[in-house]
Amino acid sequence: MRKIMKPLAASATAMTLALGTLLLSATDARAESAADNYKLYCVQCHGSAGTGKGINAPFLSVAPRNHTNAKDMGELSDDNVFKAIKEGGVAVGKSTQMPPFGGLLNDAAIKDLVKHLRGMCKCEGKK
Amino acid sequence: MRKLSRIMAFMIALVPALGAPVAFADGKSLVAANKCGDCHKMAGPSAATIAEVLKRKAPDLFYAGSKFNKEWLVGYLQKPTVVRPGGVVYLNNIKTAGDTDTVGSVDKCASKLSAGDAAQVADYLMTLKDASMKAGAFKKGEIKSAQARRVLFKEQACDACHDFGKGGGLSCPTMVGAGARLNPDWMYSFIKDPVHWDPKVWMAKRDFDEATLQLIVNFLVTQ
Repeated sequence: MRKIMKPLAASATAMTLALGTLLLSATDARAESAADNYKLYCVQCHGSAGTGKGINAPFLSVAPRNHTNAKDMGELSDDNVFKAIKEGGVAVGKSTQMPPFGGLLNDAAIKDLVKHLRGMCKCEGKK
Repeated sequence: MRKLSRIMAFMIALVPALGAPVAFADGKSLVAANKCGDCHKMAGPSAATIAEVLKRKAPDLFYAGSKFNKEWLVGYLQKPTVVRPGGVVYLNNIKTAGDTDTVGSVDKCASKLSAGDAAQVADYLMTLKDASMKAGAFKKGEIKSAQARRVLFKEQACDACHDFGKGGGLSCPTMVGAGARLNPDWMYSFIKDPVHWDPKVWMAKRDFDEATLQLIVNFLVTQ
């Protein structure tokens, strides 16, 4: 009986893994690029140039961060930027006007966004 | 015998027409005649990718009956106004000069119906519902304006993206007239889980507790 069950269990595991891979591929296919996520979620305040001059900026009491400013962005660690995007400005001691995007973006997408921001500022995060 | 079968066939053909309320059928025809479906999605699902969102020309209407108050719809259909100051998809209306973005011209809905047609279309739109939305989720209670304002403006900065009548963000719908426009049960549901209604919505999802949700919606119905 064990001789039969062992190959059966192995086949079931292989099938589960294959199905998992298929599902992951489907998710990946629908994943958005960091540049597109930046456009949809960030441009409204940070602007299409990323300099903090989005359409909502005139109505904010705290100016949105200029993502192209290497000096300012270089003072923030990647973890700090990740936390600000995921949990909002308050989580890193900044403005409530930066909302938490953790309910819209998963961790992988937020990590991609952090990389995208590093490309915009042409700077590295504070270690 | 042939005559009898013809009468029978006529009566059978008549059954569906008699079964459906006349107003709904007319409203549906008017929606088709006015080509509302050219801009609005009249059947789900909502856009699932950013590329699809960018093609959106007007708000999804396949859950209009869950979202709107009928009286508001009747008025709006006769005299459309701009509800979203940045346009339906703000990204499609941005004008950039130097590094500064502003909103370009935002068009109102081009359709303008007579009072009679508006009533029929509203009747039809009110039949388009999301069955999963919980009716009665909103509990009308005391309006605690000061407390609600603290949550909405100080803690969550909702006015960063929404206009509340005193100058607010442009990327999201105005909250001026929200009480007349929106079904409070839908407001409750949307604030609780905006992604359920629009997978690519650019409004952040917050984890409000039940009391805070009721506080917010009770305030919004007064707007």
